[in-house]
Amino acid sequence: MIEAPDLSLSALSPFLFVFGAALVGVLVESFAPRHVRQPTQVALALVGTVGGFACTLLLAGRGEVTAAGALAVDGAGLFLQATIAGLGALSVLLFAERALDPARSAFVASAAVPAGSPRDRELLTDERVQTEVYPLATFAVGGMMLFVAANDLLVMFIALEVLSLPLYLICGLSRRRRLLSQEAAVKYFLLGAFASAFFLYGLALVYGATGTVQLAGIRQSVTDDGTGTLLVLGLGLLVVGLMFKASVAPFHTWTPDVYQGAPTPVTAFMAACTKVAAFGAILRLLYVAFGTADWTWRPLVYGIAIVSMVVGAVLGLTQTDVKRMLAYSSIAHAGFLLTGVIGLDAGTGSGLAATLFYLLAYGLTTVGAFAVVTLVRDGDGEATALAQWAGLARRSPLTAAIMTFLLLALAGIPLTSGFTGKFAVFRAAIEVGAWPLAVVALVTSAVAGFFYLRLVVLMYFSEPAEDGPSVGVPGLPTTIVLAVTVAATLVLGVVPGSVLDLADGAARLVG
Amino acid sequence: MGGIEIGTAETVVFWVLGPIALAGALGMVLARNAVHSALFLVNTMLALGVFYVVQEAPFLGAVQIIVYTGAIMILFLFVLMLVGRDSSDSVVETLRGQRVAATVLGIGFAGLVGAGIARATEGMVVTGLEGVQGGEGGAADGNIEAIAGLLFTRYLLAFEVTSALLITAAVGAMVLAHIEREPGSRLTQKERSRARFLTSDHPQTLPGPGVYARANSIAAPGRLPDGSPAEASYATGVEPQVVEELPPGDPAGDGRDPGAGRGHGPDAALGTTRGVTR
Amino acid sequence: MLATYAPLVGLFVLAAGFALFSVTAAPFIGPRRYNSAKLEAYECGIEPVDQPLSGGRFPIKYYLTAMLFIVFDIEIVFLYPWAVANDQLGVFGLVEMVVFIATVFIAYAYVWRRGGLEWD
Repeated sequence: MIEAPDLSLSALSPFLFVFGAALVGVLVESFAPRHVRQPTQVALALVGTVGGFACTLLLAGRGEVTAAGALAVDGAGLFLQATIAGLGALSVLLFAERALDPARSAFVASAAVPAGSPRDRELLTDERVQTEVYPLATFAVGGMMLFVAANDLLVMFIALEVLSLPLYLICGLSRRRRLLSQEAAVKYFLLGAFASAFFLYGLALVYGATGTVQLAGIRQSVTDDGTGTLLVLGLGLLVVGLMFKASVAPFHTWTPDVYQGAPTPVTAFMAACTKVAAFGAILRLLYVAFGTADWTWRPLVYGIAIVSMVVGAVLGLTQTDVKRMLAYSSIAHAGFLLTGVIGLDAGTGSGLAATLFYLLAYGLTTVGAFAVVTLVRDGDGEATALAQWAGLARRSPLTAAIMTFLLLALAGIPLTSGFTGKFAVFRAAIEVGAWPLAVVALVTSAVAGFFYLRLVVLMYFSEPAEDGPSVGVPGLPTTIVLAVTVAATLVLGVVPGSVLDLADGAARLVG
Repeated sequence: MGGIEIGTAETVVFWVLGPIALAGALGMVLARNAVHSALFLVNTMLALGVFYVVQEAPFLGAVQIIVYTGAIMILFLFVLMLVGRDSSDSVVETLRGQRVAATVLGIGFAGLVGAGIARATEGMVVTGLEGVQGGEGGAADGNIEAIAGLLFTRYLLAFEVTSALLITAAVGAMVLAHIEREPGSRLTQKERSRARFLTSDHPQTLPGPGVYARANSIAAPGRLPDGSPAEASYATGVEPQVVEELPPGDPAGDGRDPGAGRGHGPDAALGTTRGVTR
Repeated sequence: MLATYAPLVGLFVLAAGFALFSVTAAPFIGPRRYNSAKLEAYECGIEPVDQPLSGGRFPIKYYLTAMLFIVFDIEIVFLYPWAVANDQLGVFGLVEMVVFIATVFIAYAYVWRRGGLEWD
């Protein structure tokens, strides 16, 4: 007789909420008439993500392993899950915006119609939208939440696929510049499949070395038998797979193209939520499974943190497109986050709390920045070329001010959340003696600050072009997103104490 | 840890199928034609399926053959047909030196991983499945029951979440490949029938293709009484086929059907094999 | 262990031998009276041509069919171990399997309602 495993339904409740909303969403796609789909789907996706968020809050303080050891419910996991669900809800609001574009939505009306065909041109201004994006995005949120809570490499792999597959799809569903969007989807898919293969290969090697895929079992085996070649090789491959998702250089090559090609709300979703999820998994893998043998990963993470910061900051300087610039900024920020990961010192360092806080702050700011990008438009949709942003402050002082504030937060200027976050991760790195890394991080922050400021200068001190873009009047959803992200960026910069304490209290991993 | 003997049959199977699997993998990479590549891959996957069975994992072997060699390879072939089997990769390098760099790095990576695994598994003792799965009466005794036991306990969460993956796959395939018809853009059978009777002077079914002893293909059009092809009988999507003419003249000269071809037997009357490649 | 497969190998050998024998023996034993009609594709068949009208490419509907086939194929793979171990799993296994099947069935409902199963 096979005994049923212990399943704590309360621990599973965030997932039940999110996946349940996604499933109902697919049912709505099947049975509801076309005109009610859009509002119903938006409502469902919001219920799912906000419900998941609320469930994680209710679970706060729990620390247990459930579902036969496959799922860890702990402070860090719940903090990250709440971050993902909250940022997911904000992204869904961006998805739902219909007032900005005369084409009615950022998403295509019918994805299967060939791009550029007469039918496609006909559908460009059509009322209908491929509303499958909402359940797909909800599935992705569910996958991400599972990814940061997986206590088992196999569950982690399946969560990786559950979060990736919908992302590959919704990257290709832009309503304007469809070929660019489809190209982005194919690139992301091909490179993502490679990354998944690396992860799976690493999983197999780790299993071969330790005889288990459970993180606690791996930790036990590492402590008892030490580390062999097979284990280190497997760890390396696992890290490659995860770093790809986190868009850390040198595994970043997909990032600029995909961020640029994907519909901007999807880019916001990817930049914020995928980053949080990937770093959550990196933290859990390195800390829970390999925490007692940190010499195996510390030099590796040290090296790629430097590469990522340098690549992101230097290549960001040469960009002429706002979305690509923000993509390189996300690569640089991945490097800063890795300085926090280095600051994980077997239970005593503040690296874990610092990284959690940084992820929250960066996610909120980046969603806001991409929300501003959706506002600046010309006849062909969003005007993302840097030159088109010249003199934007004259046209719309408020938009320029919001963007400036968010860019300053990304640059890490004091009184913004970016400063608090950077301060926390750099301090964590210095605490464990990694001060050379902190020096590199400071220098690259300065370099990266230059390209953020260049955009600010362009907006304020340049003559606006004659046929420059106009600034759309956002509808309610985008307005909410902008208000929340700007307020959060400010609050986390001015009075970060309570959230830092929260992150400190949550910085606990079980397994 | 005492090793176990590897049976003769297992050794033979390995040394026979190993090179075949390897040859298939190499063939897949080296073949110029994409369809050949796919078939080489089928070869490798079948060989791997047999390996799994030989290594006491019959369920995995069956799944390998059903899912991979069956379903996934069919998908591969369909996608190849979708792209057109004649389309080939462009050999122009967009980034200079990319090919060389990729080859060097690929070989380097393979060498690193290969050497690492070789070093780590050097001198490893063969244990066999029974040894690691609890001996006599353990999991190895019932491979499928053991899988069920794990699937419904330790990997239950993974198993249930897989359904989300399957839904995403189905929804994604529909979103990308299925153009929905506008409601009302398609006539029902009744409407079409009514329209045919009201507007057309040809309400009955169209004439069939020329299925007679000289050409069996539906591509051969039917003939009108004057011998010209009936255009209404052309099959849609198929190039009309030119049918070989009847043998000219009649040796008896009695004005009867020239096609009878008396004196040559019934087979000769059906024409020659001229123009038919065998 | 491998001895269990001996009958299977025997069957394979027998089948291969029979196929080989029929194909090689037929030209020697059978009468050879060919004509063009006999060598053609039979009724519904189409004469093979180098390039069909569409330029040698298949419509994308085949992809959809293949993809749906894989989805339900994988569902069956999971059903099999459950069915074999059903008496050991009991009600719990049944519930879990029903949850799984119901979830995948949502995909089926979606495909069916949106016309994915209609060919034209």
